[in-house]
Amino acid sequence: MKAQRVSLWLVAAMVFLWSVRARGLRRCLISMDIHPVEETFQEIKKTIQAKDTFQNVTILSTSETLHSIKPSDVCCMTKNLLAFYVDRVFKDHQELNPQILRKISSIANSFLYMHKALQRCQAQRQCHCREAATNATRIIHDNYDQLEVRSAAIKSLGELDVLLAWIDKNHQGTLVA
Amino acid sequence: MSVRLNASIPDGVAVLPAPQNLSVQSTNMKHLLTWSPVIVPGEIIYYFVEYQGEYESLYMSHIWIPSSWCSPTEGPACDITDDITATVPYNLRVRATLGSQTSAWSTLQHPFNRNSTILTPPVMEVTKDGFHLVIKLEDLGPQFEFLVAYWRREPDAKEHVKVVRSRGIPVHLETMEPGAAYCVKVRTFVKAIGRHSPFSQAECVKVQGEALPLALALFAFFGFTLMLVVMPLSVWKMGRLLRYSCCPVVVLPDTLKITNSPQKLISCRKEEVEACATAVLSSEEPFRSWI
Repeated sequence: MKAQRVSLWLVAAMVFLWSVRARGLRRCLISMDIHPVEETFQEIKKTIQAKDTFQNVTILSTSETLHSIKPSDVCCMTKNLLAFYVDRVFKDHQELNPQILRKISSIANSFLYMHKALQRCQAQRQCHCREAATNATRIIHDNYDQLEVRSAAIKSLGELDVLLAWIDKNHQGTLVA
Repeated sequence: MSVRLNASIPDGVAVLPAPQNLSVQSTNMKHLLTWSPVIVPGEIIYYFVEYQGEYESLYMSHIWIPSSWCSPTEGPACDITDDITATVPYNLRVRATLGSQTSAWSTLQHPFNRNSTILTPPVMEVTKDGFHLVIKLEDLGPQFEFLVAYWRREPDAKEHVKVVRSRGIPVHLETMEPGAAYCVKVRTFVKAIGRHSPFSQAECVKVQGEALPLALALFAFFGFTLMLVVMPLSVWKMGRLLRYSCCPVVVLPDTLKITNSPQKLISCRKEEVEACATAVLSSEEPFRSWI
């Protein structure tokens, strides 16, 4: 009886420690301000979204992806989304208008800075990637690949307001795992 | 050091030299790119400034973006604050133009990152508004917030910290206790680069104590004494005035007063008419004899 009780306590302790680690109590604390990026995007939002010719399609698929992300997966999902934009979207978009180019450059460089910060957290094991975040990221990449690259890029640029609002809501100005 | 165009090259076209000594001075998140001017006597040289963030240098190195305010500019300086909008290294380059002539690009030796900006202690104005401790801070732009530390100037006093985001507007810190001195110091924080400035020098103010100065006390004493004398007098005088106004005392003239003189007031009833007349004659006789 006593042995059973002790083993039960041990199991409970192990489950607790595992859940604590899974919840990422060692948090990735980065102080950054998303509002200047939001303001920059607002200046070009109408122009960018007007160029999107596939209005019935979405790449971010918020209901399948962003809305399904739990707090413990926010850090990884944010890192993945920033990488998606930095590695694919900004590169695939060819902008000729100097005013628009300046704003996109500002957003791209800000994303690069945030992505590098989250990569450092990942290196310190403070931004763990689990299946949910990985699956959601794959859905977004698949959606992107289904469109012609220029159209996909402009559509993703147009959806930046959705992404920025999600980052703002989940991080409240400070990125936390 | 400026660069002069030697116009006396015998063979070939004069080449416009590239600007030299590019450098960036950055203070409180204001960034200024400077270079040595290209001098061509009698001519105005125009400069074009372009930048490239780390993103562009990694993913699309052929892309250079014209500076917001300096394409072109008469130089030899350019405010690149509006171009440097992320906390990453930026490459910068400048070239000179004169008509159809264009110099080669001259590139900044070491990329500039705005997290190297020099943050200076902010300017503050500490004032008293009655017993209220009020502070006014300089406007450094929306990227700055202020950390204000204030404390009572006494041993083991607790230091309070207030975060102020408003710019150029007076901020109330505390209601001071009379006779106590309070000190304030402030520093800035720039969230975009995660850095603080040094603290400013502490400034202290004192509020007057409850004990009135002697002159004021004496004045109050005499004023009170005067009031003690003047008030009853005024009340008495007002009373008399009121009494006179509504219930005046009527003073009879002497002729109507009843006295022991020969000319008496006679009650002239009917039955006494003769007596009245006799009485009247008797008083008239001396008058007639006199006439």
